[in-house]
Amino acid sequence: MRYIPVIGLEIHAEMLTHSKVFCTCSAEFGGEENSRVCPRCAGLPGTLPVLNQGAVTLAAKAGFALDCTVNPYSAFDRKNYFYPDLPKAYQITQFEKPICTDGKVNIRGKDIRINRIHIEEDAGKLIHDEYEGISFADYNRCGVPLIEIVTEPDLRSADEAKEFVEEVALRLKYAGVCDARMEQGSLRVDVNISLMPYGSSEFGTRAEIKNLNSLKSIVRAIEYEIERQTEILDKGEKVVQETRRFNDNHGNTKALRSKEEAHDYRYFPEPDIPPVLFSEAELSAIRESMPEMPQKRFERYTKEYGLPEKDAELLIGDKDLSDFYDAAARCNPSYKAIANLVLVELLRNLNDSGMCISDVKFSPANLAQIVKLSDEGKISKNAAKDILKILFESGGDPLEIAKANNLIMESDASALESIIDKVIAENADSVESYKSGNQKVFGFLMGQVVKEAGKGANPQLARDLLMKKLAD
Amino acid sequence: MMSIAKLRKMLDTRQISAIELTQAYLNKIKEVDIKINSYISVCEESAAGAAKEAQKLIDEGKASFLTGIPISVKDNICTLGIKTTCASKMLEDFVPIYDATVVQKLKAVGAVILGKTNMDEFAMGGSSQTSYFGCVRNPYDTSRVSGGSSGGAAASVSAGLCAGALGSDTGGSVRQPASFCGVTGLKPTYGAVSRYGLIAFASSLDQIGPIAYSAEDCGGILNVIAGYDENDATSAKRTQNSFGGKIGMSLKGMKIGIPKEFFGNGIHDEVKSAVLSAADFYRQAGCELVDVSMPSLEYAVSAYYLISSAEAASNLSRYDGIKFGYRSTNGESYEELVKNTRREGFGEEVKHRILLGNYALSSGYYDAYYNNASKIRTQIKKEYNDIFAQCDCILTPTAPTVAYRIGEFENDPVKMYLADICTVTVNIAGLPAISTTCGYDSAGMPIGMSIVGKAFGEAEIIAAADAFEKQFARQEAVL
Ligand SMILES: [Zn+2]
Repeated sequence: MRYIPVIGLEIHAEMLTHSKVFCTCSAEFGGEENSRVCPRCAGLPGTLPVLNQGAVTLAAKAGFALDCTVNPYSAFDRKNYFYPDLPKAYQITQFEKPICTDGKVNIRGKDIRINRIHIEEDAGKLIHDEYEGISFADYNRCGVPLIEIVTEPDLRSADEAKEFVEEVALRLKYAGVCDARMEQGSLRVDVNISLMPYGSSEFGTRAEIKNLNSLKSIVRAIEYEIERQTEILDKGEKVVQETRRFNDNHGNTKALRSKEEAHDYRYFPEPDIPPVLFSEAELSAIRESMPEMPQKRFERYTKEYGLPEKDAELLIGDKDLSDFYDAAARCNPSYKAIANLVLVELLRNLNDSGMCISDVKFSPANLAQIVKLSDEGKISKNAAKDILKILFESGGDPLEIAKANNLIMESDASALESIIDKVIAENADSVESYKSGNQKVFGFLMGQVVKEAGKGANPQLARDLLMKKLAD
Repeated sequence: MMSIAKLRKMLDTRQISAIELTQAYLNKIKEVDIKINSYISVCEESAAGAAKEAQKLIDEGKASFLTGIPISVKDNICTLGIKTTCASKMLEDFVPIYDATVVQKLKAVGAVILGKTNMDEFAMGGSSQTSYFGCVRNPYDTSRVSGGSSGGAAASVSAGLCAGALGSDTGGSVRQPASFCGVTGLKPTYGAVSRYGLIAFASSLDQIGPIAYSAEDCGGILNVIAGYDENDATSAKRTQNSFGGKIGMSLKGMKIGIPKEFFGNGIHDEVKSAVLSAADFYRQAGCELVDVSMPSLEYAVSAYYLISSAEAASNLSRYDGIKFGYRSTNGESYEELVKNTRREGFGEEVKHRILLGNYALSSGYYDAYYNNASKIRTQIKKEYNDIFAQCDCILTPTAPTVAYRIGEFENDPVKMYLADICTVTVNIAGLPAISTTCGYDSAGMPIGMSIVGKAFGEAEIIAAADAFEKQFARQEAVL
């Protein structure tokens, strides 16, 4: 039988606040084990959580970025369970009254509905020493603010799911909510998946795959689950509702716990934190403070800057690159030329070196200046590439680099004229041949001029002058 | 037993130095506390040091109400470097690395912390019999309980082992022991005093409050400990006037509600008549007594136990033996370690409440228990609002009986739970209330009455209690 996969996602995104969500410890990634811990996030008796308003604002921005209703009233609850990475033995989260509801993100012309976004705290990390048989707890991540984005089961394939996660990650990045670095765990995905027989409208029993931390593993896990569940259903058996873990090495999923073994989280309202209230004015202030989102930027690039759609898309897909481009474009309104240099030469250099845009040794203004030199006819197109490569390797000032490498074109007409006069005088035969109709000789004469004038000669100017002299 | 107001005069007029005063209290603790067991820890050294510093402040003319005054602190309030046990084996050796906000505030004005007082384990109980460190005895009759959970705090004041005390009140835990031990206890409005550093029992109900010789002293202590604290998101942002500011004002025209349900069948006759004769005092002082009603009172104790136990179950989950406190030496796996730690570290009453709380929150039972309890909470708040639309404060007994005998309710915990009926609604509604002695029964045991005020109406109820105290003949405990 053929089945349609029915997929819903829960995306956990760490928010880019300076401090943790309920204390003032640094929320930055890394740090020596347990160096970013205080009595509060360690859950010491008597301590109380104090809500980081910055996290609330970012969660509201995530809501606007994903087309949600940001609720004027939301509240926190406790989710109770024992685990050594959770010092209080409860996670503070939003269960009954999430901050955002009813959003949507369009993928391939189809709306994927977002059920809710809620704020919660991250847990710590356990480090197991298998050899010694001991476990250690690192609470640095404990209390880092997260949002959980929960979709409706609207996705129908692994590719759709991947594209959706990419789009959400991109929007969160643009909104300044999350850096979406999956390899650092700042964006993690749980997948709910079931199969529905073709022609049916009734969803099957779903399995949940926890904690996927790359686009690749999302796709592989979904594909594996589709295969696994298809096999079960084809045999006439039933899929068990359970939580599964994806094994990256084996590319399969293994049962973690069944529905019967599922935790009873005993949610109840968090008494230590008053509800989060937004007035109309506060909500519109947050909305107005939203950074430019990908769609807006696309319109700016294509309509205002006149970039081809493909180029605009390429730029926008990489926020850091796009930000770099924007900064360069602010220095020099040669939008297209800058886009070309960024998308072709800069990207080539980045790819060749394996570097990130944030690592480069030069500024967007430097890049804009290269284009300016080219626009002004001071350097050739090829020289622009060369200068960028030198900038890339060792940094510096584009004009200085051009001068040092003899890349400034000779644009002084009188200097060129005397060179051309000399070439004409020394090549009387060729000139004669040209005048009698042999057009091919022009190339030879032009070559002689360039040879005399050096690489820095402005080819257009030289060509014009030579034509004029030959016509005399 | 001497009031802080009196001690203040003696210190300011150099009749006694802060050092001598502290030493006198420490000596008395050594001599007498063996009879009542009101302290878990006594901090002789740090108290002597604090007294010295306090004397400097006095000499420099920088003394305020609590400078050099010996105070006891309930052992569920965190004190930097001083064991804070919650009267539990679980925290027997727990030494906090920070001071609770109230402790910081006491220290800042030069108050002298004598030690940490005994209590019911994790403040769960009304008799201070569930302490891992043995029960607190009543200074009026050491065969009787001190009340609880702040039994050590009330007994330490009553026996003259400190000049004032900090307790905590979740369902009556300041007022009821104050009543049993013949002293004055104030439960402030929820949010008036920071809970930062108070080891949580039931977060939506807990409030730190003073126990002292008089309403005036309670007001003086409250002036020091109250106020907004950025470390406690539930603390109230408001400008604070002196809580003793209305003392001495005429009571003429004050409307005092007498809710009939608080004078029903379960209330002992001697208690009833003592409280009603106090009502008569107020009537003669020009107050108007208003008959009011709280129909939901019969559900209050159930709602209280469900809500407080649910919150407690969650609050006490952090005691797993992993990071601090007691850790069992039995158990190979994480699960076993946690189970054994909690089995061995918690006492029976605490385990009862954790079970009850988790039951009330578990899926399938949440609506019937926790949710219904929340609805009763809303209803009780509404009934208080209705009552306060007609009157300025409410007069009730603090407890249905005087202090009972140690072990008396051992086999009937429900009966002991029901004894909380007079106090729990105040916590449920987040209101302030003060308990003061209004009489003695035939055996000479103190009887307490409570005056409940509007939210942040502490100054009014302190003034009302003070007016009664000023004309009332206290009979001190003789140990
Ligand atoms: Zn922290």
